[in-house]
Amino acid sequence: MELFDKFPAMGRTDLRDLKKGIDFAFRDFSRENGEAIETFFDPLMFFMVWFEKLLLATPWPIMIFVFAALAWLGARSIWVVIGTIASFLTIGWLGMWADTMATVAIISVATSLCIGLGIPLGILMSRSNRMQAVVTPVLDIMQTIPSFVYLIPVVMLLGIGKVPGLIAVCIYAIPPIVRLTNLGIRLVDKEVLEAAEAFGSSYRQKLFDVQIPLALPNIFAGVNQTIMMALAMVVIASMIGVKGLGVPVLRAVSNQYLALGLMNGLAIVALAVIFDRVSQEYGKRLQKHRQGGHGG
Amino acid sequence: MNKFVKGLALAGVATAMSQGAVAACGDVSIAEMNWASAEFMANVDKIILEEGYGCTVELIPGATMTTFASMNTKGVPDVAPELWTNSLTAPLSAALAEGSLHKLNGMPIIGAGEGWFAPGFTLENHPELKTVLDIIEHPELFPSKEDPSKGAFFGCPAGWGCQLTNNNLFRAFDMEAKGWVLVDPGSAAGLDGSIAKAADRGNNWLGYYWSPTALAGKYGLVKLDWGVPFGDKDHWDNCLTQAECADPKPTSWNFSEVNTIVTDSFMKNNDPKAAAYFGKRVFPAAAMGEMLVYMGDNQASGGDAAMEFMLEYEHVWSEWVGVQAANLIKKSLN
Repeated sequence: MELFDKFPAMGRTDLRDLKKGIDFAFRDFSRENGEAIETFFDPLMFFMVWFEKLLLATPWPIMIFVFAALAWLGARSIWVVIGTIASFLTIGWLGMWADTMATVAIISVATSLCIGLGIPLGILMSRSNRMQAVVTPVLDIMQTIPSFVYLIPVVMLLGIGKVPGLIAVCIYAIPPIVRLTNLGIRLVDKEVLEAAEAFGSSYRQKLFDVQIPLALPNIFAGVNQTIMMALAMVVIASMIGVKGLGVPVLRAVSNQYLALGLMNGLAIVALAVIFDRVSQEYGKRLQKHRQGGHGG
Repeated sequence: MNKFVKGLALAGVATAMSQGAVAACGDVSIAEMNWASAEFMANVDKIILEEGYGCTVELIPGATMTTFASMNTKGVPDVAPELWTNSLTAPLSAALAEGSLHKLNGMPIIGAGEGWFAPGFTLENHPELKTVLDIIEHPELFPSKEDPSKGAFFGCPAGWGCQLTNNNLFRAFDMEAKGWVLVDPGSAAGLDGSIAKAADRGNNWLGYYWSPTALAGKYGLVKLDWGVPFGDKDHWDNCLTQAECADPKPTSWNFSEVNTIVTDSFMKNNDPKAAAYFGKRVFPAAAMGEMLVYMGDNQASGGDAAMEFMLEYEHVWSEWVGVQAANLIKKSLN
């Protein structure tokens, strides 16, 4: 009867030893390999430091011009360009320029990294069912595990600063791009592939000229989600010493500064909307162009 | 629950003469702050109030600023066992004067305080570094990760009361010109992680910390002498702890005030014996330090540590409560 009343749990001492064992193993690992892993990430860190300094040192009119030009190149829409300029002017006017540049720096590096790693991984997943079976649960973990659970080991290993922040952002933001690339390629019509094979396409041609172009709407939905989730992680990244808009948000949260929190929060939203509109319009144009090419 | 009901019944019998005294304790909400010593204290208070005085205690998670604001404006939670009030001087004294809050204990933990810390081995390896004044001349011993030509000083996480003070002291000691950068660790986890990482690898570390903490004990952090006396209180209150401080002057850290604060409704509606208990409840530094290391070593929660404390330190807590309450508590522990 006792078995039903009381869960047959592992003893308190055993459980403690297990927890301690894991902690000590990690500490030893960090002592032995911490320096090496840090050195491995050093180039990335110095690039990010340099990039942030570049954005901060460039006079603001030039920066706004660059943002507007990028918006135009991406979206080809005068409204997006006007929106971009207006947002950045407002951000600067409200005294959030430096924090915003720091956030733009880490977010653009983080999203490029996520997209650069995520799309190839998604393609690999779409090629093999076994790969999909392995990667999917990993992505589930990455999306649902509370961020502080992995932040603490990352900080013990790499200290606080930009690289751990980047890793935290990417762990959270990379799953959608991987999932949607995989899904997009798997959704491509079998008949279209048969047709491509009938015309004698090679494996490479099938992938790059048929499957990826047809999967672009899904891939761009993934890009959009990755950007959104990366920006959502800005505040968490600030908790391990990343400069940017997250720092004033944290300050606002602990001190009930309503306006400060709202302004910096909205600046994050503005960045998200700009990043999103530009990448979506770019995606749409890419699809038109590709589709036109195949039709003609 | 059974024990609790039994405790209530026993208390009821024992205090039959002064009927209603037990029922008068009623519901108490205690702030369980988000750091180990406060978590531990809140749980000790919970055990003692529930078992000894028959209160119904609810623990409410909180942080310094948010809890104080809530107590000050809404009167919830009833008790803040370990409230560090240096950064709340003005609003707290206003609330005390008005009578909406009451201070029951001005020093619940002996030897608690904030300051600048460095690992013990740093000071042993560099015996010439005796005070903060000596250390700030040597940024090269504390290289910053992002810019190794500068020394890293780890300030206080964004949004904490001490952040402004550290920023101002950083300016007061003219540390930027001496080759230091002020690193914002972002959160308590960030600050702790930076200490753990540095101490584990034998790297030097300089930054803001406080005791009593398991981390300070575990990594042998030493509270540094400043090399300058404490300036004047007025300058500290009105300049160094404020966002706008035009001309900060070097000074040692202010004496850290830690208080047990309760709301007016607690004083009015709850058992006065409970209030008397809060007044007597002073943790000796050694006992507190030991419990914090216990928590760290065993990954114990505040509740586990409180139970351990009740079992191991009867000689300490039995001084805080009346004989009757002590007997009730002892019974519940067995």
